[in-house]
Amino acid sequence: MAAMNEIILVSLILIPLIAAIVAMGFPKDNPRPVWYFAIAVSAVTCILSVIAFVGYDYTEGGYQFTRTYDWIGDPVNISLALGIDGIAAPLVLLNGIVLLGAVLISQTIIHRSRDFFVLLLALGSGVFGVFAVQDLFFLFFFYELAVLPMYLLIGVWGSSTDFGTFLRTKEYGAMKLMLVLVGGSVLIWVGILALYAQSANVGSPTFNMIELGELAKAGAFSHEFQRWVFPLFMIGFGILAGLWPFHTWSPDGHVAAPTGVSMLHAGVLMKLGAFGIIRVGVILLPEGASAWMPILIILGTVNVVYGAISAISQHDLKYVIGYSSVSHMGYVIMGIATLHPVGVTGAVLQMFSHGIMTALMFAMVGSIYERTHIRDTNVLNGLIKRMGTASCFFAIAGLASLGLPGLSGFIAEFMVFVGVFRTYLPLAILAVIGAAITAVYMLRLLAKTFFGEADPRWDNLPDSSPLEKAVGAVFVAILIVVGVWPAPLVRVINIGVDSVLQGL
Amino acid sequence: MEWAWLIPVFSFIAVPLIVVLGPRLPAKGAFLAILAMLGGLIVFAMVAVDFLQSGSNTNGCGISEFTKSLTCLYSINWFEAGSFVGDSSDGIRLVWGMLLDPLTVLILGLITIVALMVQIYSLGYMHGDPRFGWYYAFHALFAASMLTLVLADNFLLLYVAWELVGVCSYLLIGFWFERPSARDAAKKAFIVTRLGDVGLLIGILLLWSEVGSFSMVAAFEAANNGSMSQLTATVASLLLFAGAAGKSAQFPMHVWLPDAMEGPTPVSALIHAATMVIAGVYLVARSYPIFVASGDALTVVAWIGLITAFGAATIALTATDLKRILAYSTISHLGLMMLSLGAFGYTAAVFHLLAHGFSKALLFLGAGSVMHSIDELDIRKMGGLRKVMPLTALLFSIGALSLGGIPILSGFWSKDEILIAVSEHLPPAFIILTFMVAFMSALYMGRAMFAVFFGNLNPEHEHAHDAPMSMAVTMSILGVFALVFGLVSLDWPGNFDGIGTLVYFEKELHFHLVPWIAGLSTILAVSAFVLAYFIYARKRISLDSTRAKFNWLHKAVENKYYFDECYQWIVEAIVLTSARLLGLFDRAIVNDIGVNGPGWIVKKVGISMKIHITGHVYSYALGTMLGTIVLGVMWWLRSVG
Amino acid sequence: MMPLVYFQILSAILFGIGAYGVLARRSAVLILMSIELMLNAANINLIAVAAHREGLGHFANFDGHIIAIFIITIAAAEVGLAMAIILRMFRNRGTVDVSQINVMKW
Repeated sequence: MAAMNEIILVSLILIPLIAAIVAMGFPKDNPRPVWYFAIAVSAVTCILSVIAFVGYDYTEGGYQFTRTYDWIGDPVNISLALGIDGIAAPLVLLNGIVLLGAVLISQTIIHRSRDFFVLLLALGSGVFGVFAVQDLFFLFFFYELAVLPMYLLIGVWGSSTDFGTFLRTKEYGAMKLMLVLVGGSVLIWVGILALYAQSANVGSPTFNMIELGELAKAGAFSHEFQRWVFPLFMIGFGILAGLWPFHTWSPDGHVAAPTGVSMLHAGVLMKLGAFGIIRVGVILLPEGASAWMPILIILGTVNVVYGAISAISQHDLKYVIGYSSVSHMGYVIMGIATLHPVGVTGAVLQMFSHGIMTALMFAMVGSIYERTHIRDTNVLNGLIKRMGTASCFFAIAGLASLGLPGLSGFIAEFMVFVGVFRTYLPLAILAVIGAAITAVYMLRLLAKTFFGEADPRWDNLPDSSPLEKAVGAVFVAILIVVGVWPAPLVRVINIGVDSVLQGL
Repeated sequence: MEWAWLIPVFSFIAVPLIVVLGPRLPAKGAFLAILAMLGGLIVFAMVAVDFLQSGSNTNGCGISEFTKSLTCLYSINWFEAGSFVGDSSDGIRLVWGMLLDPLTVLILGLITIVALMVQIYSLGYMHGDPRFGWYYAFHALFAASMLTLVLADNFLLLYVAWELVGVCSYLLIGFWFERPSARDAAKKAFIVTRLGDVGLLIGILLLWSEVGSFSMVAAFEAANNGSMSQLTATVASLLLFAGAAGKSAQFPMHVWLPDAMEGPTPVSALIHAATMVIAGVYLVARSYPIFVASGDALTVVAWIGLITAFGAATIALTATDLKRILAYSTISHLGLMMLSLGAFGYTAAVFHLLAHGFSKALLFLGAGSVMHSIDELDIRKMGGLRKVMPLTALLFSIGALSLGGIPILSGFWSKDEILIAVSEHLPPAFIILTFMVAFMSALYMGRAMFAVFFGNLNPEHEHAHDAPMSMAVTMSILGVFALVFGLVSLDWPGNFDGIGTLVYFEKELHFHLVPWIAGLSTILAVSAFVLAYFIYARKRISLDSTRAKFNWLHKAVENKYYFDECYQWIVEAIVLTSARLLGLFDRAIVNDIGVNGPGWIVKKVGISMKIHITGHVYSYALGTMLGTIVLGVMWWLRSVG
Repeated sequence: MMPLVYFQILSAILFGIGAYGVLARRSAVLILMSIELMLNAANINLIAVAAHREGLGHFANFDGHIIAIFIITIAAAEVGLAMAIILRMFRNRGTVDVSQINVMKW
């Protein structure tokens, strides 16, 4: 077991990466073998991520499964340092689950499926890397590895939206997503270099986040420095978290992406941004964080309310979910910005919960779209009659998103409310109202799309495939289990959050 | 008594069993829900007996400082979050706990009995429905959540159960979702109550930040010993009341309840008459120490209660749909309970809650029996049904007379207590209006009863049949409750000293009769029924001339004071329009200008700068040479200077 | 020995002729020849300067000669490549007039 602990994180990163390279050798014209291969690989990573999460000792806390592989020594000092804390552990688990779900649901990708799975596995590897890595250089490397495949995944396998008066091509979605995210990366890279340079000023230059964290605790970064550098990370990572007003890449990107990619994108990728704000921003620049949090929490509140109200006016299923993601990521941002133990714990739990919930929604919408070829809620109706399972699962995810107790969304949002209530009371009221607006658009969507008299057009509509049902059932089960018994997640997150906030 | 948690847990376990195994079981697993409920009822009976026999020395029990009655607390940990190290500990500890006191026990009884009756009744009523299994799954989930709501010892668990009953109500109102009206009613019910819940959740958070715990007892203690300022108590109790008003359909959030009648009738009987809608009243009664500490909040409760009771009673007089008459009557009676709470009539409110619950459930089941038989709800098209469905007619009349306040029946006693409380604690205007509400409630009950079951039989309905077995038996049991339940208020020497000695706030209340109030209310009730008899059964008195004289008033009442239209306008003209504008803003300003704008600028700058790129070799060569010369000259100047 | 400036004037004249040729001629072949002229102007300059410099002890300074030989070698290679390109250009488009060939324009 000890040997297992040594290599678990590096294998989480390398297995999908090597698998992506191996997958390039698969036959081009037969989509099945490469799909089976991708399932096998993602199943292995899923199991490994479960082991990593379960093996994380929450009584001890701190960074565990640590391992360092030197890459470039003195005087540059770059090494692949790995290790997860209580915040990263649930997110690694989340990525393991959603990656497997996304691969399973991508059965329908027939066109150039080999290339699709190569990119998808590379993306998965990048996400694992960001969560597990302890070195800013590699953090950036994996961050880009997670983001860049998105361009091709959306541009090649995506779908365009055309409502006559409103046209969004998949190329537009892919291009916008990529340009905006790369813009964020530039800010992050500048910030990383600033930290590297500053660490050189006080001693030997380092990218290692643990060493940088110790420098931060020792007061090596002046107040002025922190105040200038923190917004680079806040906005750079915030862009990936859908921070208002840099959010528009997100709905358009979600809508254009194929189902499996939407699941990963909204489910996991957006969490990289929020994770980055905590891991890099709050830990390494605590004073900068304290100074900028009032701004961040206001932006987060705008996210919540703005996203929810925008979602009311959408009539494309995927756009509704896209804007709802913007709104829900707002809770994550708010929770982080409270710098209150309950609030930040809630934010991390919300990342997990929203990841599962939104992946479930996209999977079910994908399943519906596959059969009806329509996503317009003004046209769809009475689907629950014909696609009972998919509709039920979607409805459960919808109820989770409006914060129904008994499902995971409530616990997370509630903890965020508690944190915000303690720190910025008026915004807490707005956040609670935002949750009520979520009920408005979600129930309108459910009523329009799933209930009511079914159109005879759908008479011969088959229900989702057994595979889709199985993926949906597992996701629903996770939502319910976390909602009823959140302690296993919360205690792990809590220990991580506690040690982060003690640095403040 | 420690096993009281089993009461909801049986039903919780039944839900997944019905969903997963139901399709393979006989009757689609309906009996699982009924068995779970029966188990709950048995455990409840044992708990109730145990509770009545135990004293303050029983494990986990004590005499509460606030209500001065026996209170028992049991809890286990759920989860905790936040930091508990050091002296700056800041976090939340959440527990699954239950609080048993007379209020809880009585309402548990109401819920278990009515829920069991309704579930058995539904065997007949919902027979042959394609989603029979789902119906019972939702019912079991509802019953479990409602029981949890009543048992909860902390506000957070209460909120959890509160939302769960809300979603069950949503699912059951929209059970026949093929009908757009049912679908929209379900949506409306959920959203309106959800708006109230915003207040409830903020109130809970406010109490938490004040007290540092979600425990109800801790909050009551703070309110009681003055460590919570009066302002905080007022704000918190008004926020709680916002949630209560949403759930209990109080003005101005009453609009969802009449529409909720789109659900199957047994659902209306259980959820929208006897149990879920009383959750608001229960919440106010439960957090009474906070309301009392505030004082002002109770005045607000009284006012809202009175407005609701009066307004809804007038609408009930003009409604023509049998179920909607009952719905407005429910709203009106919930208003009376709130009014009673506002008038320090704690016992009266709880008593009326129970008496009304049994009677109204009976009335709804009776209406369901009529619907089941003739599939008609408009009372103008009905009449004389007692000839073809005598049992339903008898039981419906018992319910109507009880709710109308005819002596000996249960509604009389509870309404009497409310009138006493109002007359003692509130200004005289209140008691006059309350008497008018009592009169109207007898009048619309008489109207419903006589118009449906008396007079001439509509020839279309000659083949109507009386209720089948499962429906008849359950209605009869509830009929017995409606008949005799009121007698628990009396002092039975040697056995039971009346309900006022069991459930009370601060001091025991022994039964007493104020002659003028009892007399006046009896006269009003009897005269209202007589009036209704002559108008609707014998058709001796015509209302046409009065209606013509007060046409504008009649119009306003018939249109429910235009609340629905007003809200519809707000939703369409303000909410949806602003959402559309914001959506447009997101597309046009944030996306097209904010995101595409820089892209457009870069492109334009590129195009304007491309003119120097001719593609001719010699122009590039010229550029190279000129550049070399310029660099050379600069180098030369620099070396010279 | 002739003064250095004579060589430099010759070199400058040759370079000017070459530069004029590159800018003014339209035929790619002539432009190529003009480039050769410019290279050779530079060679003359290099060698002249090298010959006039003080040597280190008994040895002359060979830097200029070495560079000149480099240039001659590279120029030979360049002519070969350039002639090949011009040939392809002529085959494909039937002309070697560079004013006709502006496909590199944006």
